[in-house]
Amino acid sequence: MKYVTHSAEETRHVAAEVAAQLRGGEFLALVGDLGAGKTTFTQGLVAALGSSARVKSPTFTVMNEYVVDHHPTVKRVVHIDFYRFTTEAEVRALELETYRRSNIVIVAEWPNALPTVDWGVTREIHIAQGEGDERMIEVS
Amino acid sequence: MHILGIESSCDETAIALLRGEGERVRLTSSVIRSQIDIHEAFGGVVPEVAAREHLEVIAPMLHKYVSRDGAGIDAIAVTAGPGLAPALRVGVETAKALAWAWNKPLVPVCHLEGHIYASWLGEGETPKFPALALVVSGGHTELVLMKDHGVFERLGETLDDAAGEAFDKVAKMLGLPYPGGPHIDALAPQGNPKAFDFPRALIDRDDFAFSFAGLKTAVLYTLRKHESQLKDGQFRADVAASFQAAVIDALLMKTARAIQKVSPASVVLAGGVAANKALRQRLRDMCTQLGVPLFVPPFAYSLDNAAMIAVAGYFRAKQGSFTDPLTLRVDPNMDIA
Repeated sequence: MKYVTHSAEETRHVAAEVAAQLRGGEFLALVGDLGAGKTTFTQGLVAALGSSARVKSPTFTVMNEYVVDHHPTVKRVVHIDFYRFTTEAEVRALELETYRRSNIVIVAEWPNALPTVDWGVTREIHIAQGEGDERMIEVS
Repeated sequence: MHILGIESSCDETAIALLRGEGERVRLTSSVIRSQIDIHEAFGGVVPEVAAREHLEVIAPMLHKYVSRDGAGIDAIAVTAGPGLAPALRVGVETAKALAWAWNKPLVPVCHLEGHIYASWLGEGETPKFPALALVVSGGHTELVLMKDHGVFERLGETLDDAAGEAFDKVAKMLGLPYPGGPHIDALAPQGNPKAFDFPRALIDRDDFAFSFAGLKTAVLYTLRKHESQLKDGQFRADVAASFQAAVIDALLMKTARAIQKVSPASVVLAGGVAANKALRQRLRDMCTQLGVPLFVPPFAYSLDNAAMIAVAGYFRAKQGSFTDPLTLRVDPNMDIA
């Protein structure tokens, strides 16, 4: 599915459409350059799942967890940023398998920083920058 | 009252002993075991790695600096959040075990509250209430109104990246080592802050929100456009200076707006980015102009430490804000208000 958005607000709407299809247990790979709008997309996704959590960039914290209160099957969103990761050993240390649960949605930014890791991606979202605020979003 | 403070929310494992009396606190000891040398190799912080390092050093640190039976300690204060969950757990579980074994009251402390209380560690006057706190670190950028001890209201915060994160990302783009803040701070005075007109986001919005994601992107585009100059020292200094000026402008404009709105009795600069010399100087000039006393923590206590956690814990303990050592859980998303 392809979308073209012209504002952060429209990007959040696309994220809400993706959110509507989530049941829990998914691993979403979020691919796009610095400034593409990955955190914006995640903000829309988390809000659409019915969470009031304040979604911010996880680059410094590596991993943010957001509680989802009002969703039949999703209880938590784990927001990870692999921007600074350079080795598979660092990924192993995160013990991501403990978060692969049927009531958790994982949203991972910069999964492509470690091209050799098999994440078990269930959905892939590519965000490309056009002119100004234009963004091309591809969900597969 | 004697407080043992424990901090392990991010890179540093830290413990501190502090004596509080009335409104005054006096530090007995404060030790920090930094992991920056470990993380420098990664260009960042990886939480499980941090947690393992905390685990390895926290017991020997306690053994060396704290009495075996907890004699002379009246309460234990520990950072319960926000931070990296696996790292936080090391400090919290240690504090719970000590509180239970020694039968001492346990005080959970919000890390951001600790940063604000670092200004109580200086010599001389302490901040008067209401105090307006600008908290700037790698993970946070917030304006917080402190009405009294333990009474906080968040006026606004970053909607995306923290200021410290922007410093680290731009430093990485310029090929500078981690943590990038001090390197930008050192490079900027050699550059022209007006060389590039980077965005000051949200400054026209009548609120206290910050945004640094767009600034980061603007710097990236500038570097791409001038790729051939990336090795040119003057160009790099100009980028660092212009970027730093944009961050500080945004921080100062929102702080000035908050001062006008809440008329605080004091302004407190808190968090790791408080170590930035240009920010300290420009905020000091602005506060002098606006006639509000500014409090900046002693340099050593701007960065993560346990002394600030012990101060916050002391004022919480004075109010009897204790928790059950058997049920305390870390809260990676803990809010100050």
